[in-house]
Amino acid sequence: MPKLIIDDITVEVAEGVTVLEAAQSVDIPIPHFCWHPALGKAGACRVCAVKLLDGPIKGIQMSCMLPAQDGMVVSTVDPEAVAMRQQVIEWLMINHPHDCPVCDEGGQCQLQDYTIACGHGLRRYDGKKRTHLNQDLGPNIEHEMNRCIQCYRCARFYQEFAGGTDFGVMGSASRVYFGRFEDGELQSPFSGNLVDICPTGVFTDKTARFRARYWDFDMAPSICPECSLGCNTTPVARYRELLKISARHNDAVNGWFICDRGRFADKKVNSFDRPRVPLVNGSSSGWGDAVDAVAKKAAEFAPGSIAVVASSRLANEGAALLPDLARALSGAKLCFFSNEVICRASITAASQITPHMAASLDDVASADCIVIYECDLRQEAPMMLLAVRQAWRKGAPVFLVGKGAPLEQAAAVSVEAVDLDIIVEAPIGIFDRPVIIFSTMRSSAAEIKNLMAAEAKFAPLFDGPNGMGMAKLAAANSTISLESAVKSGLIKGIITIECVIADELRGEIPIIAALDWQMNSSVKNAGVFLPTTAWVEMNGTFVNNEGRAQQFKKVMAPGIPVSATLESGHPPRIHSLDVPGGEPKPAWEVITEIMKRL
Amino acid sequence: MEQILFRHNRPGRVVTFEEYRSEGGFSALKKGLTTMSPDGVQQTVIDSGMRGRGGAGFPTGKKWSFVPRNLPGPRWLICNCDEMEPGTYKDRILLESNPYSLVEGIILACYAIGVRHAFIFIRRGYEQAAANLKNAVAEAHGAGFLGENIFGSGFSCDVDIHLSAGRYICGEETALMNSLEGRRANPRAKPPFPAIKGLWGGPTVVNNVESLANVPYIIAHGAEWFKGTAATAEASGMKLFCVSGHVANPGCFELPLGTRLGEIIYGPCGGMRHGSSFKACLPGGASTPYLTAEQLDVAMDFDPVAKEGSRLGTGGIVVFDQHTCMVGATLNLVRFYARESCGWCTPCREGLPYVVHLLEKIEAGQGREEHIQILKEHVQRLNYAFCALAPGAMGPVDGLLRHFEDEVREHITKSRCPFGGS
Repeated sequence: MPKLIIDDITVEVAEGVTVLEAAQSVDIPIPHFCWHPALGKAGACRVCAVKLLDGPIKGIQMSCMLPAQDGMVVSTVDPEAVAMRQQVIEWLMINHPHDCPVCDEGGQCQLQDYTIACGHGLRRYDGKKRTHLNQDLGPNIEHEMNRCIQCYRCARFYQEFAGGTDFGVMGSASRVYFGRFEDGELQSPFSGNLVDICPTGVFTDKTARFRARYWDFDMAPSICPECSLGCNTTPVARYRELLKISARHNDAVNGWFICDRGRFADKKVNSFDRPRVPLVNGSSSGWGDAVDAVAKKAAEFAPGSIAVVASSRLANEGAALLPDLARALSGAKLCFFSNEVICRASITAASQITPHMAASLDDVASADCIVIYECDLRQEAPMMLLAVRQAWRKGAPVFLVGKGAPLEQAAAVSVEAVDLDIIVEAPIGIFDRPVIIFSTMRSSAAEIKNLMAAEAKFAPLFDGPNGMGMAKLAAANSTISLESAVKSGLIKGIITIECVIADELRGEIPIIAALDWQMNSSVKNAGVFLPTTAWVEMNGTFVNNEGRAQQFKKVMAPGIPVSATLESGHPPRIHSLDVPGGEPKPAWEVITEIMKRL
Repeated sequence: MEQILFRHNRPGRVVTFEEYRSEGGFSALKKGLTTMSPDGVQQTVIDSGMRGRGGAGFPTGKKWSFVPRNLPGPRWLICNCDEMEPGTYKDRILLESNPYSLVEGIILACYAIGVRHAFIFIRRGYEQAAANLKNAVAEAHGAGFLGENIFGSGFSCDVDIHLSAGRYICGEETALMNSLEGRRANPRAKPPFPAIKGLWGGPTVVNNVESLANVPYIIAHGAEWFKGTAATAEASGMKLFCVSGHVANPGCFELPLGTRLGEIIYGPCGGMRHGSSFKACLPGGASTPYLTAEQLDVAMDFDPVAKEGSRLGTGGIVVFDQHTCMVGATLNLVRFYARESCGWCTPCREGLPYVVHLLEKIEAGQGREEHIQILKEHVQRLNYAFCALAPGAMGPVDGLLRHFEDEVREHITKSRCPFGGS
């Protein structure tokens, strides 16, 4: 354990930790561009210069490249080190545009911060600036190559970390260029991380450029609802509109990155056709009347003839109330899953797995053998694929078992995988930390039981952000799938909670009430509609695929985006104390309201 | 004067395999492989005191000894023939007259280090040298000096010739390895040093052409003999000096290491051109600070030149006469380095164009006093670049500011180049 002194503070760190990280561990910030916790050192930018005053190495050194050693005496404030860092900023600013006010990165730009911190206010260089042509990188990412400070983060992330092949570094000397051979949409399913990882404004989120400044953002820590992995995100909103989503760091789950699906998914929250007011028989209504109507209608049904149906979209707070709601509806059938096979598979996986057996994304990334069983991670859990690549980079073999596990998923992250027909061909037994990845949407309960007999950790995938939570609740309460409930012939009416039911499954059975925040067939066919808030408009909890309960916080209040209310011109002509479209309430609150009336 | 590497020279043509052998060629190989142990070969080279001829002057035998002996997996030898240092052409002259001593030296080095497969990484433009080497390797194969079980010693060795894609940075040993692996020629971080983790992660030795070509003679005649060929007691061996610039008779000469600079210029080079007088020279390629007329007595060996504030480098001496504008000369050199930067680290990528910009301004008569200060800052701060390219590039600028600051200032005060340059 090397012990060193940084700015008069004694620091003890693990072997191999760099001076930069050692300084960070005692809250001494050292500027850096090319160094990134997930990508490691590069030694390219030279802005992390410190001076070693005493010990085994002396003089100006790059703290990101230097492993901490016993007896080092490091100064981050030595005039020579400060002068070197200022010099690096001057070099970088020689060619960087001086147009922060019209740059979308302005206000959240590492280069801007360090330039100001280094006191580089006067320009000594009076030559011309270097310029580049930008490329069209597709609908999601804007490319402004003139802003580039050549930290190589983008190329290192794209090619080394994410296994992308269509983007990288070209040219040399002062003409180094980061881009593609020709214009075109970036192919990697993780391309959006270029936006987060670029320390300046070369890559910006095209879907929300010039909509707001960093200091104007409404934002809060949140969880991605796009699949069951529960990646940590920071959604950003402004003027009642969800603008964009960026990755939030969590080493145990998604690390520093998220996938493009989670980042660029269609923003249904802002959708123009999103139902926002309670409806009774298709006509708008107040909350009180609408909830009364649900209670009144439900009373017309015989005991045990109503099905309460929810999906894995529903946060745990609402889901936990459903058994009580079913009891209050005189013994309604409780259905957490529509499909019988998926229902059994999910419950089996959730009840068999123990915290000890569950593999987090971090466990997957540090596994020494990976088995992907009958599933396509590109569809079901893209970030799992990125974790698989990290394990593969460290030498773990990757086995794709069965026809449902196409080789193309490995190719998407440039992993050389072994294709197997059956699970017994995978030599799991010879490895210390094998992980088996499977999907409850593709494998039956019997298959899952069989799989989970292996000596390994498991990463089950579920059909929604709260899949594990729903499956755990389903196992703990008396529930059946909607499919078998309908087959029994007893169901005469359905209440849906953030759930879409296939028309062929429902048949002629009427939907008494639907709670949801998206427009879908359940909402359209419901006798009573009650609007709920989306995940960014409420506090709640999702239990991810490994059983990790993660809270998400309210980012924004529900309401029609201001941009949509301005069609009749600015300022708005209708004045009211209420927020237009602000009616939606969290599902758990609506469920409580209904129970009060029963 | 006795010649070592140039003893096989045939004016106007390449020495043949038979000629080389009839003059004792490949006898050192036989001696080494059949009568000496690998450690014995290495020890002889260590004892000879030969310092690497590629520029840095690290003792060749010592470099070999850093390779871990008992590590499993292949290890590699790379002969660095990416000779792109401006003013340096010794390896080309050698290989265009005699490629065999290099091949013999490579096999001996492989034997000493335990390398099965060596690479010759050769500069793009050296097509003749590459062709000569290809022939030499084929002939050595034919005669059983390469391939399986050489001389029945149980030692096997092969040599591959790789034509570089043609960037200056490829001569930096770690960038060379990246290039050889098919990656961008960016230098790698050291440590780990190539002797521990080099080509494809294996222990790797990178030696200059001239260093390796000397090995057969060291093995054939012994370490003491080699030491004795130098001009001073401290130096060891002969050195190829390639002289260009304003001398009467520029060319590549094999002279004892430690020969005085003046003896080279006023000896084999025939003095300065008619009407010229010596003003300054680059002693060892474009990345070494200038030496001036006061320093003509310096012994051309690693330590004495370093003591004079410059470096022996490659031994590529570029001589400037009294009509040369040192600002213009320096500008020309730094332009080369700015263009040849790989673009990896900020000081080199952005700092060198900055220096070019300042020198251009000064040369055009638009310089200001503070530019001298900025140049001095760059001389110091470019030392903190990722590899040795940027510090090397600042060698001439360092020399310019140490020896010719008055000349620089004259550009500024007169608002024009005093030599009539633009």
